[in-house]
Amino acid sequence: MKYNHVNRASEVEKTMRVADEMEPLEVNPLFRVRLMQRIEQEAGGRAHSLDFRLAFIALLVLINLGSTVLSLQTKKQHVTAIRSEVPENQSYDYTNQEFAYYDQTSENQTP
Amino acid sequence: MASKEKLFRALVDEHQEMVVNTCYRFVFNREDAEDLAQEVFVEVFRSFEQFREEAKLSTWIYRIAVTKSLDHLRRLKRKKRFSSLKRVIGIGDPSEQIAAPLHDNPADACTDSERARILRDALSTLPDNQKTAFLLSKQEGYSNQEIADILKTSVSAVESLIHRAKKNLHDKLYAYYTER
Repeated sequence: MKYNHVNRASEVEKTMRVADEMEPLEVNPLFRVRLMQRIEQEAGGRAHSLDFRLAFIALLVLINLGSTVLSLQTKKQHVTAIRSEVPENQSYDYTNQEFAYYDQTSENQTP
Repeated sequence: MASKEKLFRALVDEHQEMVVNTCYRFVFNREDAEDLAQEVFVEVFRSFEQFREEAKLSTWIYRIAVTKSLDHLRRLKRKKRFSSLKRVIGIGDPSEQIAAPLHDNPADACTDSERARILRDALSTLPDNQKTAFLLSKQEGYSNQEIADILKTSVSAVESLIHRAKKNLHDKLYAYYTER
């Protein structure tokens, strides 16, 4: 169907009037009940996700602690190993033949 | 917590009708309007503590309703684009094209739903602020001052938005009936 100018204007007016003539809705009597149910469900869901988040954070803290303890232990072992090596090195240094020179010169100087 | 819930229940009782009808103006569909109104009140419940008394509580709630409705329309637009793409490749769902009736009388429902669809399509091409100002002005209970508060603008700006929205709608509808 092809509209002429008058028909077009009238159709436009009728269509625009739909916005004026929209009957207000009666709210469903169960609206608030459903809403409260939904809020409780979402609160429950959020509590679960909070539990999960807490568990995840606890796991991360444990992993961090574990790795710290492990690295500290390794460091300690390393330090102990170095400490045990120091006297050996020192005794080596002072008993080495290269230092015998001082002993020899002191022997030579004595009359 | 109990006092918060009690306060919230009273708030829902006071504003549910206005919120549902505000959403209905935007979506033209009862089920969607009630779903959106539920989302609005869930948001209100969640961010109740964040409400600063810069605006009236009712204005704050209706602003959330408008924002949710506009978001819903944007989602629908995206979905529509996607479904037309699906139709092109032959996997479209024909039930998506059925508009919700506004009347119980089938004859009225037919013409009204057709007109409502045409109006909704024309409205969807308007900028959000024009659309909002126009639709809220058609709803009982909103003064131009309240619309201005919701849109965070002045009353004269709202009047101008409504005027421009009407003109744009008229032009778009006229073009639509010219093409047919």
